[in-house]
Amino acid sequence: MSHSSPEVLRTGVQSPHEQIALVDLLDRLLGAGVVLAGDITISIAGIDLVEVKLHALIMSVREDMAGGRR
Amino acid sequence: MNESGTYLYAVTRGISPDRVDGIVGLGGDRVRLVEHQGLAAVVGTVDLAEFGDDALPKNLEDLAWLERVARAHDAVIQQLADRAVTAPLRLATIVFDDAGVRERLETWHDGLVLALDRVEGRREWSVKAYSEPVQESQEGSTRSDSTESGTSYLKRRRAETAHREDAAQTAARVADEVHTRLASFVVASRRLPPQDHRLTGHEGTMTLNGAYLVDEARGDELQSVVANLAADFPGARLEVNGPWPPYSFATLETE
Repeated sequence: MSHSSPEVLRTGVQSPHEQIALVDLLDRLLGAGVVLAGDITISIAGIDLVEVKLHALIMSVREDMAGGRR
Repeated sequence: MNESGTYLYAVTRGISPDRVDGIVGLGGDRVRLVEHQGLAAVVGTVDLAEFGDDALPKNLEDLAWLERVARAHDAVIQQLADRAVTAPLRLATIVFDDAGVRERLETWHDGLVLALDRVEGRREWSVKAYSEPVQESQEGSTRSDSTESGTSYLKRRRAETAHREDAAQTAARVADEVHTRLASFVVASRRLPPQDHRLTGHEGTMTLNGAYLVDEARGDELQSVVANLAADFPGARLEVNGPWPPYSFATLETE
């Protein structure tokens, strides 16, 4: 199973901005970034983010696969 | 009467307000700057019927809504990052009005300056590593025929388990080595939790989900380093993405 050239996937589209995979985006926008306490007192951590992500992304993955985008 | 709130996308500095002309945020409204003490928050106006206390928790569980908002939020971040140093905020940071924005900029001033200093002139790259699925033995893992003794069957099963565990340990060591070598080359690094294959559809096990902060001019170098690592570790599949805005590195130092 060895290849003559190293197998590195360089995924990303040729547009000015990368279309970042939703799973990567949500990891960062829900988990990282500057955290300033807003006035809207919903604590993001209070929502089960794993559940939210799991549902959202299973749907997204299914659509991607159906559309042949993978 | 529809009440509105102020949605914060990012913090920046050193630009004039017209620099964000043409950047459109959630709801199709143009974003604007709220400036205070040398910093500027990039904000937009949102409807509290959608983003307020009652609606937000429900909407965050609506898959289509979450994706739409994340993409719109990210579009603002990416456009801003083309024009100015950008410290991206988390999704759904909403205050009641611009006075609230200035209050946050004041309270978090020093930490925000440090975050902006850290990411200025730099971009985030993602490097992931996957191990290949372990092949089961040719004979099949649980089948045994009448000619195979119980002892022989158990020995074979133990050998297969040991093989799987060895492969997993090797894959983990490779991931650590890849991360260590990347970390020594870049400005900053973080290991994010590996992603579940149910979320990504990937094959094999994700052994590394690394985020790396790299000087803008050194993106090509990073890709070369990863290509060399792929050659050094042929059993691992490496995936590079970037350059992205520095989501994972614009964090506030908390006490």
